[in-house]
Amino acid sequence: MTDTLATWLYAVTAAPEDGTPPQGLTGVADEPVRLVEGAGLAAVVGSVPLADFDEDALRGHLEDLEWLERTARAHHRVINGAARHGQVIPLRFATLYHDDDRVRAMLRERREDFTDTLRRVAGRTEWGVKAYVDPRSFLPDPDESEDEGSPGTAYLMRRRAQRQDQETAHLRATERAEEIHSSLAALAVATAAHPPQDSALAAYEGWMVLNNSYLVPDDLTEDFTALVRALGERYPAVTLEVSGPWPPYSFTAPPKPAGDAQPEEKPS
Amino acid sequence: MTADRAPRPGRRIEVDEESVRKSLAGLVLTIVELLRQLMERQALRRVEQGGISDEQMEKLGLTLMALERNMAELREHFGLTEDDLNLDLGPLGPLLPRDRDP
Repeated sequence: MTDTLATWLYAVTAAPEDGTPPQGLTGVADEPVRLVEGAGLAAVVGSVPLADFDEDALRGHLEDLEWLERTARAHHRVINGAARHGQVIPLRFATLYHDDDRVRAMLRERREDFTDTLRRVAGRTEWGVKAYVDPRSFLPDPDESEDEGSPGTAYLMRRRAQRQDQETAHLRATERAEEIHSSLAALAVATAAHPPQDSALAAYEGWMVLNNSYLVPDDLTEDFTALVRALGERYPAVTLEVSGPWPPYSFTAPPKPAGDAQPEEKPS
Repeated sequence: MTADRAPRPGRRIEVDEESVRKSLAGLVLTIVELLRQLMERQALRRVEQGGISDEQMEKLGLTLMALERNMAELREHFGLTEDDLNLDLGPLGPLLPRDRDP
């Protein structure tokens, strides 16, 4: 029987004093969510059928956008539910262990790491801010002077001007994004930059010039959202989108090999 | 659907001749467009370096202009848009820079 189930991890939290799992939560396989405790920590887990979640099955499923969306939402829902009971370290989608014993062993092994991380994110919340611009509003004013000479030369000049304008627009938009980022970062204890999303998947027009996460102390939440609004008003050419509160997805990743993007932490 | 279970002679691939023609044209035109853009970039670089005469510049400009017009005609002929002429190279992004990309 145990061979047919695996343990899917959602999050790690401090062990709750009363030891009760989050009530009424179901996970990626509609399974009830439970806690596996060890080393003063608790892993929020569910038992999922291997038939659907072993390596081969997962590889197939990950190609299926509909399955992926449904399951990713379930994963996030459990993390959010667990976060209502206290600070969590969200775990990466499709973190699977063979059984509960291995989960306990993992908790013991990484106890220090987890405890440090929990302490670091305690009383703080992740917010996402995206900024989009319409490149046209950053183009330099058209320069009417150049319409000299013969058609071939004029064509080349026009193309050159277009290219330069495009570069200028990008530079200006990036500078504006930098300004916005530094204002927001002043209220955050840590920031993380993400690559712009694929416009085909995220369905937006124009350029995404900012896609960052900010770890904001809970008592500054209102200041932070007010600042996003104020910046949006100050820079009408930039569309700002704030999302959250999120469990601290961007600030709890295990140490990665050098070369990967690391959140920047300011000494507090 | 059980009646359909009879052994079939291999797997059949539905081929719509028109769509194959269009995809092939799209692929070929994408490569031509890539070359055109590279040539244009190279031409602009040479203009900026100032190493060419006015006459050469005019000739280059006319050639590139004609090429752009030809491309537009070919696209229209095959019912393709500018966005169709691109390849998604996954993590490397699109083959051709799109206007809306930085």
